[in-house]
Amino acid sequence: MTLPRFETLIEAHHDEIYRYLWQMLRGTGLDAQDFVQEAFMRAYQAYPRLRQDSNCRAWLYKIATNCAYTALKRGQREVELDDTLAADGLPLPDETAAQNLVLEAARQIITTLPAKQRAAVVMRHVQGFEYHEIAQALDCSEESARAHVSLAVRRLRRELEAQERLS
Amino acid sequence: MTDKHMHLIDPPQAEIEKSRRRVMAWFASAAPLIQWAATESPLGTIYLARNAAGLCKLNFGVTETAFIEHLDPAARTEYNEEALAPVIAQLQEYFAGKRRRFDVPVDFSQMTPFQQNVLQTTVTIPAGKVLTYGQMARTIGKPRASRAVGQALGSNPVPIIVPCHRVIGSDGSMTGYSGGGGVASKKWLLRLEGALQTD
Repeated sequence: MTLPRFETLIEAHHDEIYRYLWQMLRGTGLDAQDFVQEAFMRAYQAYPRLRQDSNCRAWLYKIATNCAYTALKRGQREVELDDTLAADGLPLPDETAAQNLVLEAARQIITTLPAKQRAAVVMRHVQGFEYHEIAQALDCSEESARAHVSLAVRRLRRELEAQERLS
Repeated sequence: MTDKHMHLIDPPQAEIEKSRRRVMAWFASAAPLIQWAATESPLGTIYLARNAAGLCKLNFGVTETAFIEHLDPAARTEYNEEALAPVIAQLQEYFAGKRRRFDVPVDFSQMTPFQQNVLQTTVTIPAGKVLTYGQMARTIGKPRASRAVGQALGSNPVPIIVPCHRVIGSDGSMTGYSGGGGVASKKWLLRLEGALQTD
C-alpha cells in the first residue's frame, strides 16, 4: 500500500479541514485560513516520513488539531472572546427561529469548551468521525475520545437546558 | 442537541473556496513539478515522466492511474506532452528501428550509489549486444555481486531508456524484466535490436 499523492490529499480533505478549524477557532478572532495553510504546510514537511499504511485523514486532523491548540493558546493570551461571532453564520431559511436560537446557543457554548473536548465534539458531531478516528487525530485512546465527546455533549446539554429554563 | 443541529453549523462556501485556492497556490510554489505524458508503442501505451533533473519514470503495461500513483507523492503533477516531446520522438525512432541509443537526461538521484553505478553502466551496453549479470558485476568491479546487480536492474525507473533488457542470465536465460509485460517484453526488445533471433 502506498501513500496517496499529496495534491490529492489537498483536493480530498481541504474543505473538511477548513470546516474543522473554522469550528475550532470560532470566537477567537483568528482567521481559519491561516491555520488551514499552516496545517497543510506542516503536513507536507512531515509527509516523506509518514508510514505507508497510515490513515492520512486522521493524520491530517491530528496536525490540524495541533495547529488549533497553538492558535487557541495564542488566542487566550491575545484575543478576547468575540461574542458577536455567534451572528456570523449563514441564514438558515428552512429552520425555525427556535432551532436557530438553540444553534446559536450551542455555537457559543462550543467556543468555551476546553480545546480537547471542543476538537472531539466537532469531529464527532460536525465532521461525522468514528471514535477510533478521533482517537487517532487526538493521539489518545478510543475510550478517552469517547470521554471527551461525552463530557462536551453533557456540558452542552446542561448549559442549553439552563438557558432554556432562564428564558 | 442532535446531529441535525450540529450539521447546520458551517462556514460560508466562498470562504472555503478562497482557502482552497490559497492552499493550492502555496502548493504550486512549494512542490517540485513532475510533467508526464503517454505515447503509443508496439509494447502498448508507454507512460513517461520528467522532473527538473531529467526523466524520472517510464513504464508500460500499467494503467495511467497506477503510473501516476508511483510518481513522487510529494510532487505536483502535470500532463504535458510538449515537455516530454523529445523523449517521445526518440522512442518512436527506436521502435521504427531508426535509433540505437537514447540521448536523454535521466534523474538517478533517488537511487543508491550502487544502483546508479549499475544503471549508468547498463546505458553503455550497445543495442544488439547483451551482457550477463556476472559480466556486469565484473564490469563495475564487484565480481561477486551478480545477484545485487540483478536487484539494481529490477529497480530501474526508466526501462528501455536505460536498457536493462540487455542484461541476461549466464546461460542465456531471461530471468526477469522490470518493464511492463515481463520477460515477453524483454525478448521483444532484444529481437528488435537484433540480439535475439528466435524465442
